[in-house]
Amino acid sequence: MPSLAKPFSIGLILCLSLWPFLTAADPYTAIIRQAGLIETGPNNLQIQARIDYRLSPTAKEALHKGVPLTWIVAIQIRKAGRILDTTLYSQERPYRIRFHALLNQYEVATRDNEGEMFLTLNAALNFMSNLHDSQPLAADLIQPGQRYYLAVKCRFDRESLPVPLRPFAYLDTQWFLSSDWTLWPIQK
Amino acid sequence: MVSLQRLDTMAYSKIKLPASASILILFGFILLSLQLMSSSTQESSELSEMHSWLLVINTLGSITLLILVVVNAYSLVRELKKKEAGSRLTTRMVSLFVLLALAPAAIVFYFSVQFLHQGIDSWFNVEIDRAMDDALELSQSSLAQRMNWHIKQTRQIAAQLEDKSDTLIALEIGSLWADSGALEIAAFSSQGRILASSSTNPSDILPHLPDEQIWLQLRQNKEYFAFDPGDNDEMLVRIILPIDRDQRRFLQVLYPIPVRVTDLADSIEFAFIRYQEMTFLRDSLKTSFSLILLLVLLLSLLAAIWVAFISIRNIVAPVKELVKGTQAVADGDYQQQLPVMSQDDLGFLVESFNQMTKRIARSRDETRAAGLEVENQRAYLETILANLTAGVISFDASFHIRTANQAAYRILHIPVSHFVSQTLSNLAGKHSELAEVLEAIQQLLEKADDIWEQRIVFLGPNGRQELLCRGTPLFLQDGSRMGAVVVFDDVTDLIQAQKNAAWGEVARRLAHEIKNPLTPIQLSAERLQHKLSKELPENSQDFLQRGTRTIVQQVEAMKRMVDDFSEYARPSKKQVEKINLIDLIQEILALYLHSGILFTTSFSSRGVIVEADPVSIRQVLHNLIKNAQEATAGPCRIDIKINKAVRNNAEYAELCIYDNGSGLHADQIETIFEPYVTSKAKGTGLGLAIVKKIVEEHGGVIWVDTSYNGGAGFVIQLPVFEFGNSE
Repeated sequence: MPSLAKPFSIGLILCLSLWPFLTAADPYTAIIRQAGLIETGPNNLQIQARIDYRLSPTAKEALHKGVPLTWIVAIQIRKAGRILDTTLYSQERPYRIRFHALLNQYEVATRDNEGEMFLTLNAALNFMSNLHDSQPLAADLIQPGQRYYLAVKCRFDRESLPVPLRPFAYLDTQWFLSSDWTLWPIQK
Repeated sequence: MVSLQRLDTMAYSKIKLPASASILILFGFILLSLQLMSSSTQESSELSEMHSWLLVINTLGSITLLILVVVNAYSLVRELKKKEAGSRLTTRMVSLFVLLALAPAAIVFYFSVQFLHQGIDSWFNVEIDRAMDDALELSQSSLAQRMNWHIKQTRQIAAQLEDKSDTLIALEIGSLWADSGALEIAAFSSQGRILASSSTNPSDILPHLPDEQIWLQLRQNKEYFAFDPGDNDEMLVRIILPIDRDQRRFLQVLYPIPVRVTDLADSIEFAFIRYQEMTFLRDSLKTSFSLILLLVLLLSLLAAIWVAFISIRNIVAPVKELVKGTQAVADGDYQQQLPVMSQDDLGFLVESFNQMTKRIARSRDETRAAGLEVENQRAYLETILANLTAGVISFDASFHIRTANQAAYRILHIPVSHFVSQTLSNLAGKHSELAEVLEAIQQLLEKADDIWEQRIVFLGPNGRQELLCRGTPLFLQDGSRMGAVVVFDDVTDLIQAQKNAAWGEVARRLAHEIKNPLTPIQLSAERLQHKLSKELPENSQDFLQRGTRTIVQQVEAMKRMVDDFSEYARPSKKQVEKINLIDLIQEILALYLHSGILFTTSFSSRGVIVEADPVSIRQVLHNLIKNAQEATAGPCRIDIKINKAVRNNAEYAELCIYDNGSGLHADQIETIFEPYVTSKAKGTGLGLAIVKKIVEEHGGVIWVDTSYNGGAGFVIQLPVFEFGNSE
């Protein structure tokens, strides 16, 4: 069997040299501005978060050309452990925005809302930036004396893009619209 | 053997079928994957969700196949560099296959991409762009016109309600709703409190109040009008206008848009959006389809090349085995039996090769057996020749030595076998002491055309030797000379024994025929002296006395001579014991302490033990010393040396006695040890003969050292029992 050490080394060097470009911070990623739990009742908690969606020129062009864009906001409540955290609560909320050329309006659809029309893109994004229709959580989920985190991530759903666009959405930084996981300590 | 071949074929079949099945399964998977990927490009397909995964799977498959191809190619290059069997043929076939497969595939790929791009480009043109824009604009104009009319209508309603109290508004709003043809009409305060409403749907207790967004715009713009999506995919026109100038109250009217108009507008919007999307995806479509085509090409080509590697290796395998087998046969390994992998032409070739190697191996075995037999015969003959007492030397046609046995060395004292391919003349040049005999044999060989026999006498290193030589020329079947064989034997001892026997017979006859009459002669002469001395005159008495004395003296002399001769001829009665030859010599030399002879001794060992009769050895030494003394006119000097000698793998004590006398003539050397051969006037000529006889009776030899020129030199070799420590 011929030795593969040399080709493997070349591949490794290529990957390492390209890694900074692939992992470079992108200016179009969504930003989780704020997240936390608020008490809405004696035994109820509600998740609140504020997310800034920043669309790249390509994404804006695609939106105005009729391509719907979908983000999925993933929310988790994690209990801090010594080695690994335990996920106590997990939820995903999709947000889809599309442009209606006839009406020149933007429609934002959520899991519970068929579609909300907005005259401007900013209005639509502003609507999306707040978590809506959040179901209340039981207050006893959070026990005193323990450390909890609210983990929020806004993931751009590339798989909802048209098929021809998907492969490039994984390679083109114009489509790197997701945020990383952000952890917010929960105070009680 | 037939069953073995069947086993080979069966074994191959068992291996081949799974390999073929694997290839079929591989191609099946590739086709399935490509089909799935192709189907997933359709948005309507359920597989579209798996498009990325399928793309990744196919890419990984291509990379895997590429790695396999690269590994195989690298392996092939290494085989080429090592010049392994079959590597060149494999390279040639793989290259040909790749070339034949790549060229049409590349052409098809190129034109497919071209057609694909042209096809996609053909979807779009300026006219369609303009038509789509115009259609959308027309729809928008239509809707805008409807919107403007409804705004105007709403303004009129609002004007009718201006300056009216909330109660009046509640009373009039129903008739206004009926006149307007609206779906719903409602009046509410700036705080959102409903003042009055009327709707076509009696189930709607509450009107469709504006949400936060609308309120936001309302506060900014004082009025709001927009198309809203209604229930059941219908479209509504929502118009909100202030009733009062101070915007304390607002009027909201929802007008329906006809279903037909909504459907047409939706259709136009859908087509426009779709077209816009396609326009946006134009390059992505081209690239994506090209990528898929490329993946199809790569997967197919790489799979085909990989399978080609495997298939060609399988095809070349018998050829490779054949090459290896041929190399093995060339290197002398005839046991090569190659597995028959197929029943095609290559299989037939392999079978033929196997048969050929079998035949070669059989022939080799037969040749080897024959050679072994010849070798055994040769070894047998060599053994016989080596153990022959006679020397045998064979010559080729040009009389160069081919073989010589051990006896030749023993007789000639030269390693004849070391002079193979040389002539006897060359041998004679290096051993001058044997030049005479070797030249003689050489001449006889060259001259003789038939069997010849010749006695050759020469003076060897051990003294006079007599060889009985018989030569036989060798001829081939065609009559040409192929060489000759000379058999010779040292008959010196035999001749000497014959002479001794003759001398013994002479001695016996002398004793019998001569000595017996001597006593009566002597007695008769004495009696004559006794009887006649008184009767004869005085002068006659004197004559008689001198005459009888002479007779008696001569008879006594003759008796002594006969006794000596009898002594010589009589078998000795030895009393053998182990004696130290050096001590014995020292004892004898002590007797000559005052004789005036100057002795010098040189012994290589302190003790030389021989099994001998000390009396006889003393006689030998006395005779030799006496000879030397008599042969020396002036002061006599005798050198005595004892060295260690090895002859025929036996140890001998070599006793050398050299004097400074007159020496021996060349013609005397040959006969010096024979009886009655002497150079002295008074000698009997038996001294050296007795010495030789005693030495030979002790298993030794004596010869004249012809290399010594300072006088006479004798060398005696006696079998030694033990050598003491060297000095």
